[in-house]
Amino acid sequence: MSATTVEAPPARPGGRVPEVRPPRERRHVWAYLLPVCVVSTLVFVVPLLFTIWTATHDTKYYEIGAFNGLSTISAMFADDRLLSQVLITLGFAGGALVIALPLGLLSAIALNRVRRLKRTVRSLFLLPWLMSQATAGTIWLWFLNPNFGPATDLTNRLGLGSTDVFSSPGPAFLAITLITAWWSYPQAMLLFLGALQTVPVELKESMQVDGGNAWQTFRNVTLPFIRNTVVSVAVVLLMLYVQMVTIILVTTRGGPLGGTETLAMRTYNQMFVGYDMSGAAASALLLFVINVVLTLVAVRFRRRETL
Amino acid sequence: MTSRAMTAVRALPVWLTTLILAVLVLPPVAWILSTSLKRDADTVAFPPRWIPDPFSSAQYSGIYTTTNLRFFSNSLILAIGSIALALLICVPAAYAATRFRSRITETVMTLVIVLAMVPGIVVFIALYAMLVGTSLINTYPLLIVVYTAMISGQVILFLRSFFEGIPLELEEAAALDGCGRRQIVMKVVLPLIRPGIAAVAVFVFVFVWNDFLVATVLSTSEDMKTVQNGIVRYITTGYGNFWGLFAAFVVVGFAPVLAAFAIFQRWFVAGMTSGGVKG
Repeated sequence: MSATTVEAPPARPGGRVPEVRPPRERRHVWAYLLPVCVVSTLVFVVPLLFTIWTATHDTKYYEIGAFNGLSTISAMFADDRLLSQVLITLGFAGGALVIALPLGLLSAIALNRVRRLKRTVRSLFLLPWLMSQATAGTIWLWFLNPNFGPATDLTNRLGLGSTDVFSSPGPAFLAITLITAWWSYPQAMLLFLGALQTVPVELKESMQVDGGNAWQTFRNVTLPFIRNTVVSVAVVLLMLYVQMVTIILVTTRGGPLGGTETLAMRTYNQMFVGYDMSGAAASALLLFVINVVLTLVAVRFRRRETL
Repeated sequence: MTSRAMTAVRALPVWLTTLILAVLVLPPVAWILSTSLKRDADTVAFPPRWIPDPFSSAQYSGIYTTTNLRFFSNSLILAIGSIALALLICVPAAYAATRFRSRITETVMTLVIVLAMVPGIVVFIALYAMLVGTSLINTYPLLIVVYTAMISGQVILFLRSFFEGIPLELEEAAALDGCGRRQIVMKVVLPLIRPGIAAVAVFVFVFVWNDFLVATVLSTSEDMKTVQNGIVRYITTGYGNFWGLFAAFVVVGFAPVLAAFAIFQRWFVAGMTSGGVKG
C-alpha cells in the first residue's frame, strides 16, 4: 500500500479528528477504498479504454483488425445521418426537458402545498417513475395502439382517425419524447420538492402580507432560492435523455426511417444491427464527450450543495 | 369570507393541478390493470371498455409458466447479489470518505461518482465486445458487478450522509474502551446506520429489478433474461392476442417495486434522489 503520506484530515466542524486512532491506520484507508476502485475500474475505465482502442482499429464483426488512426472517427463525421441524428437527439432531449421540467416544478409546488392526503398524492405523481423504462414504453405502446387502444377510441370520437403514431417518423418522435417526459418528470419533482423545503416560509408570508400575488411570490421569493436546483435538475435530466436507450428501444428501435434514432440509439444499432464495432465505438466516444461536458456543468452547479 | 372558506379557495389551484396531473398519469396505468383482468376476447374489443366484464383471472394464471418463473428468479438473484456486493464495497468506502477525510479519499470518491455518470450504453457495448467470446457473458457475477458499479456512486453518497450523523464521540469512547477499528465499525457504527443499509437495499433492488438494458446486452441466452426482458418479449415476439398476458405480466412485475415503495416510502425517495442532485 502506497498511501503512507496521507496528509492529516482537515478539522471538521462536527468534531475533532480522533487522536485515539493509531497512525498506522492511515495506511489502511486504501483497504476501505480498494474494493470500490476495483469494481469501478473494471466496469468503467477498462471498457472506456477498450472503446478508444476499437474506435481506432478496423473491425470485422467482433474481430479487431489493424490500427486505422482516426479514419473511423472521420468517417463518422462524414456520415450524412450524423447531423440528423444529432438534431434528433437535441430535439428529443430538449423536448422532453421542456415538458418534464415545468411539469416537475408545478407538481412539486402543488405537492408542497397539499396538506391532506399528502402521501397519497405524492405516490400518485411518482407512479410513472416507479415503473421501469421498459414498462413505461410498452404500456404506452399498448395504450396508443391503432387498433383497439383507448387513445384511438378517443381520437376516433374526435374525428381525427386512428392514433397510428409509431408508423411515421414525426409522430413517433413526438411519442417517444412525450413518453420519456412522462416517465421522468417525477424525478424532477422529487428534486424540486427537496429544494422548495429550503425556501423560508416567513419570506413567502411577508410577501403575501405586502400584497404580492402568487406569481410575484414565486418569481421573487421561491425562484431565487431554487435557481441552482433548476439548473442542476435540468442537467441531470439532459444527461438521462442523451443516454436514453430503453424507452426508444422497446417502442421504435430508432425507426421508422431513422426518425427516432438518437445518438445513443445510433450507437446501439451500429453495434447490434450493423455489427460495426469500430463505428459504434466512435459514436460511443462522441456520446461520452457530450456526457463529460454535461457532467462538468452539473459538478459546477452542485458543488455548493454537497461535495 | 370566513377563514375556512378562504383556505378552501386557496387550496383550489393545488387540487386542480393535482387533478390535471392525475389525468395525465393514470390512464395508461388504469388501462393496463383493466386489460390484465379481462378475458382474451375482451382485451381486443373495440370500442374499448375500461371496466372488465366479466372480471377474469385467466391472464394471471396464464403467465405462470416456467420461462416466466425463470425471469423472476433471475431478477431476484441479480437484485440480491447486487445488494450484497454494493453494501460490501460501498460501506467501507463511505466510512473512509467520512472518517478519514483527505485529498486521496476525496479524489477517489469524486472519481467513483463521476465514472458512474458515464452513459450506460457506452460501457455496455464495450463490455459486450470484450466478453462476447468468453464464458463471463451470461453469468450472474458479471451482471451483478456491472449493476453494483453503476449504482455505487449513489450508494456511497447516500451512506456517507448516514456516517456523518454518527457522533465521533461514540467511536472515541469505544476506542478508549480498547476497541480496534474493526470492532468499532462492527459493534458501534454498523448498528447505528441500519436504516441506511435498509434504504440502500431497497433502492438497489428497484434499480436492478427495473433494468432492461444491461440484461438485454450482457445476457444473450434466453434463460438468463430478466423480468423486464420478459415484459418486452410479449410485445416483440407475440403472435396473435397476447395483450392480456402482457398486461398481467406488467402488473406482477411492478408489484414488488410498488410494495417496496409503499413500505419504505421515505427512504426510497431519499435514496433515489441522492443520485440526482448529489450524484
